[in-house]
Amino acid sequence: MTQELLRVTDLKTEFQRGDEKVYTVNGVSFSLREGETLGIVGESGSGKSVTVHSMLGLLQGAGKVSSGQAIFQNRVDLLQLRRKQLEDIRGRDIGVIFQDPMTSLNPTMRIGNQIMEGMLTHQYASRKKAFERTLDLLHEVGIPEPKARFRNFPFEFSGGMRQRVMIAMAIACEPQLLIADEPTTALDVTVQMQILALMQKLKQDRKMSVLMITHDFGVATNFCDRILVMYGGKVMEAASLDTFIRRPLHPYTIALKSSIIEVGDRHKKLQAIPGMAKVWNAPPHHCPFYERCTFATQQCLKEVPELTQVDDQEDHWLACHHVEEVLKSVG
Amino acid sequence: MAVVMTNVAATKRKKRSQWGLAFRRYRRNKLAVFGLIWVALFLLIGVIGPYIAPYNYQTANFLAANSPPSLAHIFGTDNLGHDMFSEIIWSVQNALEIAFGATLVSFLIGIVLGMWAGLRGGLADLIIMRLVDSMFAIPTYFLDLILVVSFGRGMGPILLAIGITGWASYARLIRSQVLSMRNSDMVEAARSLGASQTQIAWRYVLPNVMNSMVVALAFGIPGDLTVMAGLSVVGMGLRPPLPSFGNMLAQSGVNVLGYPWLMYFPAIVFAITLLSFLFVADGLQEALNPKG
Amino acid sequence: MGIVRFIVKRLISMIITISVVLAVSFLMMHYSPNSFFSSTTLASGMGNLQFQDPKLYQQYITMFENRYGMNKPIYDQVLSYVWNSLTFNFGNSFENPTMPIMTQLKESLPISIELSLGSVILAVIIGLPLGVLAALYRNSWIDSLLTTFSMIGQAIPAFVFAVILVLLFGVVWPGVVPINGWGTFADAILPTIALCVGNIGVVTRYMRGSLIESMRQDYIRTAKAKGVPYWPLVWKHGIRNSLTAMVTVIGPTFAFTVVGTVWVENIFSIPGLGTLMSGAFVNDDIPLAITSVFILSLMVMGVNLLVDLSYALMDPRVKLEA
Repeated sequence: MTQELLRVTDLKTEFQRGDEKVYTVNGVSFSLREGETLGIVGESGSGKSVTVHSMLGLLQGAGKVSSGQAIFQNRVDLLQLRRKQLEDIRGRDIGVIFQDPMTSLNPTMRIGNQIMEGMLTHQYASRKKAFERTLDLLHEVGIPEPKARFRNFPFEFSGGMRQRVMIAMAIACEPQLLIADEPTTALDVTVQMQILALMQKLKQDRKMSVLMITHDFGVATNFCDRILVMYGGKVMEAASLDTFIRRPLHPYTIALKSSIIEVGDRHKKLQAIPGMAKVWNAPPHHCPFYERCTFATQQCLKEVPELTQVDDQEDHWLACHHVEEVLKSVG
Repeated sequence: MAVVMTNVAATKRKKRSQWGLAFRRYRRNKLAVFGLIWVALFLLIGVIGPYIAPYNYQTANFLAANSPPSLAHIFGTDNLGHDMFSEIIWSVQNALEIAFGATLVSFLIGIVLGMWAGLRGGLADLIIMRLVDSMFAIPTYFLDLILVVSFGRGMGPILLAIGITGWASYARLIRSQVLSMRNSDMVEAARSLGASQTQIAWRYVLPNVMNSMVVALAFGIPGDLTVMAGLSVVGMGLRPPLPSFGNMLAQSGVNVLGYPWLMYFPAIVFAITLLSFLFVADGLQEALNPKG
Repeated sequence: MGIVRFIVKRLISMIITISVVLAVSFLMMHYSPNSFFSSTTLASGMGNLQFQDPKLYQQYITMFENRYGMNKPIYDQVLSYVWNSLTFNFGNSFENPTMPIMTQLKESLPISIELSLGSVILAVIIGLPLGVLAALYRNSWIDSLLTTFSMIGQAIPAFVFAVILVLLFGVVWPGVVPINGWGTFADAILPTIALCVGNIGVVTRYMRGSLIESMRQDYIRTAKAKGVPYWPLVWKHGIRNSLTAMVTVIGPTFAFTVVGTVWVENIFSIPGLGTLMSGAFVNDDIPLAITSVFILSLMVMGVNLLVDLSYALMDPRVKLEA
């Protein structure tokens, strides 16, 4: 078994919004091995983006990590680092791609300079080397005529091209871990596939670990080795891709799966999950999915289900009181 | 039916609480509350001033000229023996009439031209916006000076001069609001139901741009007060003996070494007044268009 | 290059605007009841010469009318007036018939330019750091202090500050700095302060808002994720982007300052174009008054053109369109 790169334990994050507190991440734990691709899947508001922002100290506004650990490379706890130390890790050991390539690039800075900036900040390369490397990177992420494009501004690029620039930026210092926060959400479907293919190739070439955050189950199953389903700021289910496709067990996962439209599958009944993800003004004191779950009982209201291993053979974790009932209904 | 009913009730409640919220937001801003109190006082004095002023503004008592503040003249007197306290009270009235009047004139011109440009579009829009651009290209204060020369230096002429040069910002604001409204679903729906251009303007666009209009007006009034006083500074303001803050300030500069009280009372009252109007405007902006 | 086209287009629209202003000003003043353009005013100025020596009187009138072109039809007068102004051929003023307006301008204009440009530049130099400070320490005591001060500076016009400064340095601390006149460096101190206070307020407030806005953008998060440390982040990504927006506020600020200069020159008895202009207005010296307005407006328009050009140079997204 390969080495563990990142282990997050019981991460909790809350936001101060006016007079009230919003509990966004409520005790998330997971681990990521070297070379592995982990997908974090969930609806908007499930706390998946906030989880990674918390780890990297990128929370905006009045967000605050209230407890937890995020051990990186078996040596440092990202949550305990001072600003300076964290800055050394960000961009060098951990690269990040954000959702919206339209707003995530500095509009008044040439894209070449934006790619070089990280390398220069971390003294990864001299100015001259960084320049040459930027051209290589642009080429590698599939931007034709890197020399001419180096001097362009973001507004001269299409959405897909900008996302390629974002990717080049994120991998400039050859990070061990790449975090992709909804990298394809803002793109057209055809472009989405291209970007995913590009990321797949880069990942394999460099044996990078990837943490992929997406609300799109399809994207996750295409790209990831292991998947984590989040809801209400908690992990609902975690398992290998294989298990997920074969035998998902959490009612939420099942609901999520049946709400995707699959091409050519005209007979499948498309099911929307009733209700909406709720805003937590107190830490959850019952199963977060209780209100929307078809299997819910009094027990779900009384006890928050713990994340436990389903059986010893499989790496399959679940937070649900009703495994048996679910199993029965799935057949 | 039941669903519809509750929805209506809900919107009504929401509407009321919107104003309530705005009021509460306003109240939290202490400077804005202070400004409102001063402005209210200023308005009150503007209305009842002539009845409470101890002297008429034309009463000149040469025997008491240039006397420092005393019981008889609490703010002192000027070189003609005018009681400064009364002068200030009379000035408030003149200032209010001109500032409110001029702002109203500007606002009316602006609203008509802005709506016209926004709703009609095409050539009308082009011409009006060109006009707006030219009004912005040069300081309107200079146009005011020229207009005052040809209109004269009475209350009405100055009001009119300031009024007809100050409309451009209102027109531009209203036009941009109308343009964004014109493409809204609500107006689209009204139009498809056969509402006329004028109906749309009065019933849909105007109420929806009211918030920003109120704020713009609140900023406009202190602006016009400044212009009015600024005309006096170069000797083109209200013709004495009509009292005005600008005249008092301009005159006091000449006499400052001997009679400083001629300067500080008008200067302080005028400065606090402008500040108060601005605090109110700022408070309104925060309360009506909160930016999260 | 689009830039030449842009400048040409802007110059043309400037000329049109200013010509309309000149024509309207001329007409308004021509038809105003106490206009110097009308020879009746002239007549009353010459007292009872009309009765003592009607012939000489008539000669005077004719001479006057010829000199200022008043016997021509009105459209001719307007057109030639506009044309002469545009070609900087201003003629003589009424008050000083022997001295060309150009000579007066040469003495007074540099003073006004110095004052207005100087105070705007000073205000930017002082206001920018203050705005950055207020934005970075948002909602702290320093922010509320700066915001309140800049609001006060913005609300109170330059002439009130000027009057207060005269009071302070004339009565309270007399003799520290001169309170009127022009010539030495010390003379410039108080007028510059009076003009600056409001502008510092504008610049501070605008910079604060603009920096807060840009620090909230997604690209700031991107740069953070690259590991860019705080100050480089603030400078390269925050301030640089808000500066482009800042430039746009310079135009209106300058226009405002030019008006302020007119006031401040009057209060501190500075022999600049503002004082010349107000004297012209008070004395119904129409040619000088309109010319002053023309020159000052030209100054404002010129600066606005420069502002737009530098805006386009700073923000790559802006396409120059007139």
